[in-house]
Amino acid sequence: MKTSLKRELLDHGAAVVGIAGLRGYLSGEISHLDRAVSIGVDRKLNEDTLSQLVSLQKRAVRFLKARGHRTLAIPPDSDRKKDTFISKLYSLFNHKMAATSAGLGWIGKNGLLISPRYGPRLSLATVLTDARLKPDAPVEHCLCGECMLCIEHCPSKAITGSEWSRSSPFAELVKLNACRSHKAAKRATDNKPNCGLCINICPYGRRNSDMKNAER
Amino acid sequence: MVTEEKKAELLAKLRNAVIQYDEDTAKEAAQEALDVGMEANDAIFNGLVSGMVEVGKMFEAQEYFVPELLMCADALYAGLDILKPHVKQLDLGVKGSVVIGTVEGDVHDIGKNIVKMMFDVAGFTVYDLGRDVPLDKFVQEQLRTDSDLVCLSAMMTTTMTGMKKVIDDLRTRNPNVKIMIGGAPVSQDVADKYGADGYAKDATNALKDAINMIASLKKMKDEVEAKKAK
Repeated sequence: MKTSLKRELLDHGAAVVGIAGLRGYLSGEISHLDRAVSIGVDRKLNEDTLSQLVSLQKRAVRFLKARGHRTLAIPPDSDRKKDTFISKLYSLFNHKMAATSAGLGWIGKNGLLISPRYGPRLSLATVLTDARLKPDAPVEHCLCGECMLCIEHCPSKAITGSEWSRSSPFAELVKLNACRSHKAAKRATDNKPNCGLCINICPYGRRNSDMKNAER
Repeated sequence: MVTEEKKAELLAKLRNAVIQYDEDTAKEAAQEALDVGMEANDAIFNGLVSGMVEVGKMFEAQEYFVPELLMCADALYAGLDILKPHVKQLDLGVKGSVVIGTVEGDVHDIGKNIVKMMFDVAGFTVYDLGRDVPLDKFVQEQLRTDSDLVCLSAMMTTTMTGMKKVIDDLRTRNPNVKIMIGGAPVSQDVADKYGADGYAKDATNALKDAINMIASLKKMKDEVEAKKAK
């Protein structure tokens, strides 16, 4: 079932799919849904990544429900309708946690999920389920190594240089206030709220997009 | 004119959409029901609500848990949003308007939202003040809208005490208003002590209570109609 679910999602545009085992990580309301299907879509500019991600998520839900399993879809962060009942539970679980547990990558120094192939250029969605899918091997440590590019290029000096690992998930990687106020200032001057240098500069992401450009 | 067969099919579709927490199908079925000329009331009470009653049973039997319950409620709302503009006002003898909110300092509003849903379904006009509502706001809003009922929710013992103040203020300004309170720390004793008229147990129970109240509203509606038929 795991293989066919993965194939179904990959065939329909997912860049990566992983299964996380979450026993013991979940709060009471959702503790019976202890597998997560973590779905990543390559975040290409000018394409509707979001609707693609949402439709993949619905596909996964349909697949699992049709086989009699419970699901709880945690929508992409940019598609959370605040006025629904279920949105109260979204905060109980985050996508990066699912992605690292599913072995899709690690949390980089820039605080984002780094996939070995796509770097920080993935958009994530998660489907929690009680289906007995075999979990993939989680990633335990930050594999950024000596690379300091995102730290050096961050205009707001927000990246602290601390390294994430599963055993210290709450280390402060990014000073969120510094990052946020930089973005706010940027919005005020040129009306573009996003900075994104730490995404752009990451060698893991660049390598993949260079390869793609070369293919063209 | 819609055939009985088509009607039964659509009611089953609405009902199952709620049970299966399938928002898309709930919307689709609600639209279809309107398109073929079904009564919106019928679609709501014998379709969506009947599904929610079943969900309540499944929750009691521990087949469904809180996430499923919330998703079912979302599916119900999805259908309701489409059907509601076409509802003829229900003659339940309980028509009215209600002011509802979670008291100052408290941001927990699942229970409050579920109770709100119940009033929506029943055809009340609901003035939802949201969460973390300044205590004076309840009184002002009640006076502004001349609502029959004020519902206060609190999830924490620390914020619960704010209810007492609101109740006292409401009573001095308008002795006739009905007041209901709810939330985890609230009990019948507290309701009596604070001088509230009614009370619902806690967030999970508010879900159940809401479902029960929807079920009893449905029953009331059936009775009203049975009387009319006579």
